[in-house]
Amino acid sequence: MAPVTGRIVRLGAGTAAQLAARAGETGRVHSVFSRAANIAWPDGRLLSLHGPGSLLSPFAAAVDDVSRLRVLQPGAPVSCAPPRLHTPMLALSWAAARVVDCTPPPAPAATSARLARWLEAGGPPHAPSLDSPRGMTACRALADGICRGDAARLLEGARALLGLGEGLTPAGDDCLVGALAVLHHARAVRPGEIPGLGPAIAQAARERTTTIGGEFVRYALEGSFSEPVLAVLRARSRDQLARAAAGLLALGATSGADTIHGMRLASVALAGARSA
Amino acid sequence: MAHGTLVARGAYHDSVVLLTLARALRARPGVRDAAALMGTPANRDLLAQAGLLTPEAETAGPNELVVVIAADSDATVAAALALVDPLLAGSTPRTGEGGRPRPRTLATAARRMPEANLTLISVPGAFAAVEARAALRIGTHVMLWSDNVSLEEERRLKRDAAERGLLLMGPDCGTAYVAGVGLGFANEVERGPVGIVAASGTGLQQVATLLAARGHGLSHGLGVGGRDMGREIGGIMTLAALELLGGDEATRVIVVLGKPPAAEVRAAVRSRLAAIGKPAVVCLLGRDHDAADVGGEAGSADISSAVPVAVSTLEDAALAACALLEKTGWRRQPFSIPDAERRIAEARRTLTPGQSLVVGLYAGGTLAHESLLILDPLIGPIASNLAGGAGRHRLIDLGADEFTVGRAHPMLDPGARVDAIREAAARPEVAVLLLDVVLGHGAAADPAGDLADALRSARAGARAHGRGLVVVATVVGTARDPQGLAAQIGTLEAAGAWVLPSNAQAARAAACIAGGDAVRRAVLGGERP
Repeated sequence: MAPVTGRIVRLGAGTAAQLAARAGETGRVHSVFSRAANIAWPDGRLLSLHGPGSLLSPFAAAVDDVSRLRVLQPGAPVSCAPPRLHTPMLALSWAAARVVDCTPPPAPAATSARLARWLEAGGPPHAPSLDSPRGMTACRALADGICRGDAARLLEGARALLGLGEGLTPAGDDCLVGALAVLHHARAVRPGEIPGLGPAIAQAARERTTTIGGEFVRYALEGSFSEPVLAVLRARSRDQLARAAAGLLALGATSGADTIHGMRLASVALAGARSA
Repeated sequence: MAHGTLVARGAYHDSVVLLTLARALRARPGVRDAAALMGTPANRDLLAQAGLLTPEAETAGPNELVVVIAADSDATVAAALALVDPLLAGSTPRTGEGGRPRPRTLATAARRMPEANLTLISVPGAFAAVEARAALRIGTHVMLWSDNVSLEEERRLKRDAAERGLLLMGPDCGTAYVAGVGLGFANEVERGPVGIVAASGTGLQQVATLLAARGHGLSHGLGVGGRDMGREIGGIMTLAALELLGGDEATRVIVVLGKPPAAEVRAAVRSRLAAIGKPAVVCLLGRDHDAADVGGEAGSADISSAVPVAVSTLEDAALAACALLEKTGWRRQPFSIPDAERRIAEARRTLTPGQSLVVGLYAGGTLAHESLLILDPLIGPIASNLAGGAGRHRLIDLGADEFTVGRAHPMLDPGARVDAIREAAARPEVAVLLLDVVLGHGAAADPAGDLADALRSARAGARAHGRGLVVVATVVGTARDPQGLAAQIGTLEAAGAWVLPSNAQAARAAACIAGGDAVRRAVLGGERP
C-alpha cells in the first residue's frame, strides 16, 4: 500500500535547520497521541508533529491534517530526505512550510514592564506538585540563583524542578521553561551562556525527566520556545497579553499555568536583582 | 493497608489523562490513595513523601508511567489496577460494577447508587414529566433538559419538588452548575463565591464566563426554567434556589438572572433577598424593568451590599458581582477595551453611504434578547422573532423552534446561521453582522471555524460589489473550555470579525457602526444603555 502523503505547513527555524542537517538519518516514531506524534532521532532529540496552527513546542512541525498522523505506529522507522520525512505509512513534505522564528524578541522597556506587572499580579492555579515542599524548595533555589546570579543555586533549583509532577512534561519542567523564557526575553541571566551551567542543566534534563520534558528544557536553554509562550512575550497591549495568556493556559491540564508560574518566578527574581 | 503498582514503559499520556486517572482511582470504594506519574527521580520523591513509593515504583525510570494504589485490601487494589488500562484508553467497561448491566430505570439506578442526589432528564417532552416525578419520588433534585412540558405539569412538578425540599431545574434547562459540576451546555469555570439563579441558559453562561475572566468562580448556577418567574408558576423554583444559596456558606454573593417577573413574583424575590441578607445583583432583561423595582442604584460608583443591585446587562451583572466581592466601586462603561472608538471609526470608513442596517444572527436566545434591548432604543425599530413587529434592522434567535425543526440547535449545527449570513450579506444596505459564538461542553467542537468560511465569503462578496461588511461578534467561553477561548477568537478575527469581550459591548459596537453621530454620542458619552 502506498504511503499517505501530507504537508508540513509550519515549523520553527531551528527545527527546519535540524531537519536539513539530518539528511539520510533514520529515527523512530516515539509516541502517538490522538492529536500529535513524536519522532525520536538517533541523538535523542525529538520532532513533534501536530495539527495546523501555532507550534505547541519549539521542536514541533504543524501538518495540514492531523488525522494523517493516526497511521503512525510507535517504533516505526522515519527517514529524513529533505524536504521530506518518510515512514512506511506516511510521507510528509516541508517544502512549502512557513518557517517561523521561535526565539523571544528583545524586550522594549514598556513591553517588559507590562509583562512584569501582569505576572506579578498573580495567576491561575498551577500544579499542586509545585506547592509541595520539594517544589517550593526548588522554586526558591531557582529564584535565588536568578536574583543573585548564583550559578550553583540556579542549577540546584533547575535539577530539583526537572521531572517534578504529572504528565509527559512534568510541572517542574514547564516552570523551568517559563523562567528561562523570561530570562531570554529580558536578555538577563541566560543559563545557556554561563560557562558550564547550560550543559549541566541539559545533562540533568537527560537524566531526571521524561524525553519530551527534557527536550523542552534543552530548547529553552538554547533560547527557543513554543509559540503560545512567545505570544505572551510578544504581546504589545494588555488585551493582547490577556489573549496570549488564555492561549497558553489552554495547554494541558496545568502546563500553561505552570509555565506562567515559572515566568512569574523569574520576573520577580529579576526585579529583586535590579532593586538590590 | 495494601499497595499495588503498575509500571508501564512506552505508555505516554499527558497530564490531563494522568490527573483524571488518579482522580478516578481515588474515587473507587476502598481506595485510600492513588498516584499516576512518570517515574522521574523528583516524582519518586513525591511518592515517598506520600507513602506510596513501592519497591516497583522505586526502580522505575523517567520514561515509565507509574501507577500506585493504596487500598483497604488486596482485592480492591487488584480491581483498581484492572481499571487502569480501560481508563487510559478513554473507555470504561460496558457493564456496571460487578459485571451487572447498566440500569434501565430510575428506580434501579437509585438502588445501585443510593448516594446519588440529582437526576438529569433528557427525554422527549411527552415523557419528561413522568420521569421527573419519578426522580422527585426517589428523593433526587432534577435537572429537566427536556422542553415541551405544559405549564400545568411544570407547576405541579415544582410544587411537588418544593414540598419535598428539592430543586426542579427547568423545563428546558440547558445549563446548570451544581457544586462545581457543569451540567448541559456548561463552560469550564472554577468553584467560587458567586451563586446564580438563572431563568436563562446562555445568560448564565455569559455571566459565569465573565466572572471567570475576572478570576471568580461559582458556588452553584441553578437554572430554573424560562417560565418560572411568570404569574403561572409564581417563581416557585427561583425562591427555592434563593433559599438554597442563602443557606450555602460557599455563596457570598447572589446573582438573579431572568426576564421581568410578574409583580407578585418580583415582590417575593425582593423580600426573599432581603431576608437572606447576602449581597445580591438582579439582572432582569426587559423593557419595562426599572432599577427602582429592586431598590438598588445601578451603575453607580459606590454600590451597597445592603440593597440588591439592579443592572440591565449580563456583563454589568458580572461586574457588579465582582465589585461586591472585592468591595470596590464600579461604574458602567460602554466598552472595556481602550481602542473601541478608533475601531468603530475604522469600520465606518469601510461602509458606503447606503449601508446602515444591523443584522443580528444569534445562537443564544438570551444573548439575542439582550442585544435587542440594547439596540432598539439606539437604532430601532428592529424586526425580530423574539418580539415580533416590523423594523429596518433584523435580530434573529436561530435557536427558536422555527429554525430547529429537523436540525440541531445552532450551538451544534451551523447550517441555519451560515444560510442566514449568506442571505444578509447579499443585501446592499446591511452594514453590520452581529453574532455570538458559545463555547463549552455540549457546544460544537469548533463553532468559530464552522462560521469562518461563510464570514470570509460574505465579506469578499460585499467587497466585490464595492462595499464593506462589518462583522461584530462575541465569544462566550473560558480559556479552559474544550474549544479554547483564544483559538476561537483567533479564528473569528482571521475571518475578519471584530470580537468584543461581551455581548453587550458587541451590540453597542454594532449600533455605533451602523447608527448616526447621535448614537455614537449616546454610547461613547456614557449615557444609557
